[in-house]
Amino acid sequence: MALAVENLRRTYDGFVAVDDLSFAVRAGEIVGLIGPNGAGKTTTLRALAGILRPTAGRITIDGHDIIADAIEAKKRLAFMPDEPHLFEYLTVEEHLRLIARLYTVDGFEERSRALLQELELAGKEKALPGELSRGMRQKVVIACGLVRPATTLLFDEPLTGLDPIGIRRMRETIVARAREGAAVLLSSHLLHLVEEVCSRVIIMAAGKKVADGTFAELASRADLAAAGSNLEQIFMRVTGHD
Amino acid sequence: MISASLYIVVCSTKNRIRKRLARLREPRYLVGAIAGLAYFYFWFSTRARAGRRPPTRRPSASAAAEATAATIFAAAPSLVGIAVLLLAAVAWVLPFDSGLLEFSDAETEVLFPAPVSRRQLLLHRLLRSQAGILFGSIIIAIGSPVGGWKRFQISIGMWLLFLTTRVYYTGVTLARSRRSTTAWAPLAALGAAIAMVGAALVRAIAARPLVDPGELAARVGGAVTHGAAAIALWPFAALVRPLFADSAAAFAAAVSAGVVVLGVAVAWMLHGDDAFQDAAARAAARRVERAQTSRGGAVRARATGLSLALTGPPEPAFFWKNGVQTLRLTGLAAIRIVVAFLVIIVAVTSAVLNTMHLRGGAAAACAVAIAVAGFTAVLGPQIVRTDMRSDLLHLDLLKTWPVRPAAVVRGELAWPATLLTVVGWAAIACAAAFSPAAFPQVPALTRASLAGAALLLMPALVFAQYLVQNAAAIAFPGWVPLGNQRPRGVDAMGQRLIMLGATLLTVTALMLPGAVAGGAIWFAFQRWIGAAVFVPAAAVCTAIVMLEIAAATELLGPLFDRLDILAVERTE
Repeated sequence: MALAVENLRRTYDGFVAVDDLSFAVRAGEIVGLIGPNGAGKTTTLRALAGILRPTAGRITIDGHDIIADAIEAKKRLAFMPDEPHLFEYLTVEEHLRLIARLYTVDGFEERSRALLQELELAGKEKALPGELSRGMRQKVVIACGLVRPATTLLFDEPLTGLDPIGIRRMRETIVARAREGAAVLLSSHLLHLVEEVCSRVIIMAAGKKVADGTFAELASRADLAAAGSNLEQIFMRVTGHD
Repeated sequence: MISASLYIVVCSTKNRIRKRLARLREPRYLVGAIAGLAYFYFWFSTRARAGRRPPTRRPSASAAAEATAATIFAAAPSLVGIAVLLLAAVAWVLPFDSGLLEFSDAETEVLFPAPVSRRQLLLHRLLRSQAGILFGSIIIAIGSPVGGWKRFQISIGMWLLFLTTRVYYTGVTLARSRRSTTAWAPLAALGAAIAMVGAALVRAIAARPLVDPGELAARVGGAVTHGAAAIALWPFAALVRPLFADSAAAFAAAVSAGVVVLGVAVAWMLHGDDAFQDAAARAAARRVERAQTSRGGAVRARATGLSLALTGPPEPAFFWKNGVQTLRLTGLAAIRIVVAFLVIIVAVTSAVLNTMHLRGGAAAACAVAIAVAGFTAVLGPQIVRTDMRSDLLHLDLLKTWPVRPAAVVRGELAWPATLLTVVGWAAIACAAAFSPAAFPQVPALTRASLAGAALLLMPALVFAQYLVQNAAAIAFPGWVPLGNQRPRGVDAMGQRLIMLGATLLTVTALMLPGAVAGGAIWFAFQRWIGAAVFVPAAAVCTAIVMLEIAAATELLGPLFDRLDILAVERTE
């Protein structure tokens, strides 16, 4: 398994944000992580990325534990957060160069050029984050994640701030990376996006996993069969909002 | 609208107080609050004792000196009034800003579309600014070496002065934005007032030679208390007269006059709202720019001359990143010009002074250079914060990087510590160059040895402080202001006091083993090699401190690894 999560638990001052969460994502698979606000999706993704230490449980990336073997695990991981945190004083090009240095990227120049074209950032290489729109900054964050050959990609609301053309490009980019063999975990409130690009979906509510499977599997589940066959109907039923 | 403004002010104040009280449940804020309150208590009680103490007549003070002081005090309202008049004129020339037009985002989005007039919006801002003005006035009054009633008098007087100044500056900003020529009429009136007062002063001062400062004050005071000059100066002197009133009745009369001036200023500020929109937009733009600067955001993508190789250990990558930050924020061209300018000035001054055997200037230059070196070593690390203290704001990014935590710590402190070391070295080199003039009695060998020792000790001092500052940021992120944050409140002030004390103690402890070893070298070899012993003693001291720093960064690594992002995010 490219990404394996076993009994993940994370608490904040006694509040349980994620409780006993287990799942795995295979290489080449795109898994959607959905749930209402406060379900624990972002906490899960931040724990997977090594930003938050799990209170309990184990996370491995290609068999490397994110705590015990953090450097090897992080080398294989790319996290694209919903809020584009960038260094205000580094240009787009310098951000990519810094990432290349820290992750030791082979063929950086070619990869970087191709990626900037793919994400429509060509011509913005010398721009600082403050000179870019929200959507452009989001693309820079994604470029930083994709410029290295990561085996596991974590996307948190990757379409926030993108225009319709950017949204289409981003969908294509995510699918292309999975085809190349990356394991992709995608968190989004845009259920149509999840339905379109993901082969499997995990639904969280109140910190717990309440459903996990392909759309067909979820639709055929006895307790969900009456809800309907589309993801929105299933989501409403599972989270108790129908 | 006034009731709505009052509602906003009261609710905001109430919620701010409630939030500050609620955070006292956390030990760090409680301890900080106790320290802050203790500091204020001792400060207030010291000031109160000073105020109650009867004025003592210094034995050395002659009757003539006391008479001079009394004359100056008598003329004070006129003297300060003249200063206020000049400031009022300068406000039209320099881009002073009262801040009254800087509406917050919430005010812009909620109040601007609301059905309220621009005048009401200005009055709302004026109302909101009262707490800050009152606080500043009371602090000044408490800090004044006077008794109880006089303190009350000063706080009211300062409040009146600050408030009128703020209103006036806002009026100037609005007048500048107006396109009509009548908007500049107050400037013409000011020019006339300055001319009248200036003419009276010239006549009074040029009449006969001056004997002492008291006579100067008396003549200036006398010149503007009658005729056209008195009329021209009246509004400005009226504003400061409450500060100098010597009885309750005089104070009441002075305040009444000051309130009339304030009323006229408010009426002038509110008389037309055609320029309000433009001025408010410009003020908002300035506020955004300031906010960006405080976050390090208002930077230009200028070339820095620094490049990063694509392979190698991670520490230089942090060095490069922080270097780019400093150079983008300050500007490489500016740094180059300053450095070149300093080098030329030092070289030329040195050559000229040596040629002309002028020792005074060189001695002064030496003293300044020593002061700069000392300032760099002691206060530099508190000021240049392009290290973990600013990068903890990017902790979520740093945590995802495949870098050993100890390397992150080393990399973060490398750039600012190197930068300050180089600045310190330059200052020491200057001091050494000018030292023959400043310390002619000290032998050349001793001077050279001391300079060499200072050069060697500079990196130890600077790196040790950066280590402690960064360790504090990692171990107690809630206690250390990150980036350019300046948390407010008595508890936050107490935290800063505690952190300052703890930092100084820790740096001392860190330097101690090196100092002891250096002292031992000095003691053992001083009689054999004389003054030259300072160099090996400093070298040993620095070597030990640097080894301690290297070991400490390894120990800090696991601490950084375990650092929870929420500990950082929860700070103000």
